[in-house]
Amino acid sequence: MPNTIDTILKVSLNHYLVLSAVLFTLGVLGVLLRKNVIVILMSIELMLNAVNVTFIAFSRYSGNIDGQVMVFFVMTIAAAEAAVGLALAVLIFRRFKEINIRYFEHLRG
Amino acid sequence: MLELADYTFYFLALVTLVGGIAVITAQNPIYSALWLALTMVSVAGVFVSLDAWFVAGVQLIVYAGAVMVLFVMVIMLFDLRRETNAFSRGMVSGFLKLASAGIFLGLIGGSIYNSAETVFAPPPAELEKTADATKALANTLFTKYIFSFEVIGVLLLVIAIGAVTLSRVQGGTHAKHD
Repeated sequence: MPNTIDTILKVSLNHYLVLSAVLFTLGVLGVLLRKNVIVILMSIELMLNAVNVTFIAFSRYSGNIDGQVMVFFVMTIAAAEAAVGLALAVLIFRRFKEINIRYFEHLRG
Repeated sequence: MLELADYTFYFLALVTLVGGIAVITAQNPIYSALWLALTMVSVAGVFVSLDAWFVAGVQLIVYAGAVMVLFVMVIMLFDLRRETNAFSRGMVSGFLKLASAGIFLGLIGGSIYNSAETVFAPPPAELEKTADATKALANTLFTKYIFSFEVIGVLLLVIAIGAVTLSRVQGGTHAKHD
């Protein structure tokens, strides 16, 4: 049944959504499994990128440009979040000489 | 029949996913950062395949450019060595984490399989040419979303001040030693 396979493999909205879902899950796994604060921040960036792919795909397939505007906002938030998160990582490293996520609870004061 | 666009999508998806897996499995944070840069570039390619040219350019400049430089600079600031135990310990909790991520993926995949095709069954209408699409994007951004745009500007100012403040408190890179 070459026709059926071609229909399944033909790229549609679903393919982009599945790619985005898998990328998001990879980001979730990175946040859950890693201990290095910087790698956790990178995993969060992965998740934000997955959301962006979803936004752009829906924007393209519904012919509505609002989704691209949302992607701009998400990118801005992501850059801001990276800046603050990396500043916190520097703080942790200066105090504990290691960037392990479990030192976050000792950052008080 | 499959066309060039389809093969391009599968190639980009492969690069994206391999990059994503490498980001979360690389032992050395600098390799994670470089794999993340590759993932960002291929996500920009996915944007191009969706005719979002301007967003793809912004993705390259902001993510693959600015944010990645930020990450790499911070990693270079640290005493970099190979992590002996990069992953969190615990077999049971690790299994639970993997299982919950798998369930999450299954949930999303199932909902995509069941719903999306019915909502957007017709093939997409052709968007305008690149310059016109960018113009339409700017028109939307500066009319409909002008308030959100300004709020984002204020947020960036707050973040800039916050980052400087964080780096100046005791223990930061520019700490005041008394």
